[in-house]
Amino acid sequence: MNVHEQFADDLSLYALGALDGAERLAVEKHLQECSACRRELEQLRGDLALMALSASGPKPPSRSRDRLMAAIAKEPRRAQVRRPKRSAWWNTLEWAAAVVAVVIVVLLMRQNTDLRRRVADLETNSTKQDQQLLEAKQLLATLTSPDAARFTLVAGKTPLQPQGKAIYVRSSGTLVFLASNMPAIPPQKTYELWLIPTSGAPIPAGLFTPDAHGSAAVIKPPLPTGVEAKTFAITVEPETGSSAPTSQPIMVGAGG
Amino acid sequence: MSGAASNLVSPDAMLLSAIRSGDGQAMAQLYERYSAIVYSVALRVLGDTAAAEDILQEVFMQLWRSPEVFDASRGSLPGWLAVVTRNRAIDSLRKRRPESDINEVVVSIEPDLASRAEYSRALETIRGALGGMSAPQRAALEMAFFDGLTHTEIAAKTGEPLGTIKTRIRAGLVTLRKAFNP
Repeated sequence: MNVHEQFADDLSLYALGALDGAERLAVEKHLQECSACRRELEQLRGDLALMALSASGPKPPSRSRDRLMAAIAKEPRRAQVRRPKRSAWWNTLEWAAAVVAVVIVVLLMRQNTDLRRRVADLETNSTKQDQQLLEAKQLLATLTSPDAARFTLVAGKTPLQPQGKAIYVRSSGTLVFLASNMPAIPPQKTYELWLIPTSGAPIPAGLFTPDAHGSAAVIKPPLPTGVEAKTFAITVEPETGSSAPTSQPIMVGAGG
Repeated sequence: MSGAASNLVSPDAMLLSAIRSGDGQAMAQLYERYSAIVYSVALRVLGDTAAAEDILQEVFMQLWRSPEVFDASRGSLPGWLAVVTRNRAIDSLRKRRPESDINEVVVSIEPDLASRAEYSRALETIRGALGGMSAPQRAALEMAFFDGLTHTEIAAKTGEPLGTIKTRIRAGLVTLRKAFNP
């Protein structure tokens, strides 16, 4: 017979559905671990089926058949996967969850669209800036290249004079200065460019040493913004430069 | 006892397969074959024809909706129907919600009940085995099975020790089994 005698009686009662509480739990726990008792339970259910069959006798009335067939006709088997009935609050909860999900999706889509637009804008800006940067670099390279051929055009047979051109944007404090035909600078000296404001002391605007052709450039020296320039001037200063002119200007801008 | 051929191609398995694909006629055939078993068991437990008809409807509709709940490879359909019907009827009798998941019920049964002749022979054997039991043993078994009484309730009703009732129930079931495996 069964190897687990201590459960033998209880298994019969379990099969009959007669066990409750702790007794039932104990049997179920044991069944999970014991295949022999699971087989015995199947056997016991077979025994119960025999017991049930002993009741065989009366046939159901014919209306029972009609009732079943009518119910089957109403429930095609294709739709057999029935959801368990749910309470109203659960349906409401599900519905609410669905609404929240839709709202979140819409918000995310909107955010996504916004982000895409921003990325597109940034890409456009970046492309524009790259282009501008490239042009600026080319411009600078042209201005400062040692290979650049420079021509100064003068009227008639005027001898070539030292010349400086300063282009200044006050609001941003940006300055581009180009010089030509500059005489060579003595050793341990440097030319220094000065911004001469409409009021106040001259502001240092960069040091430069002309090349063999007398050409030089000062591009964007550090300058305060918003200073109104009366003119620009060039002095000869010690090699490290000065914070205030130490000599008379050799060249002064006409201004305007 | 059945021949090997009828075990290999079980008519029940074929009907169930047709039911799985939505064949209402197969369901009608299955009903013809087993409605008497289901109805008899329900009526024996409930003692009321209308209530028994409700259980009959419920059990067959369950099979229609989810034929997969019966695992043909692991048991006998009439045996399964009989046990499921008894459990549902007891639940109904005790006004409680269906307790056990119908899927859990696997019924291992010796006799093949597919043909009417085999069914009649099996019924004769079962009734013979029940008739051979002592009156107290048979009573304990019937109270536990058809009345849905617990061993404690039976002990209280008969005034006999709890252990005796437990043993009688189990011994009674084994007696039925042995009637088919002498």
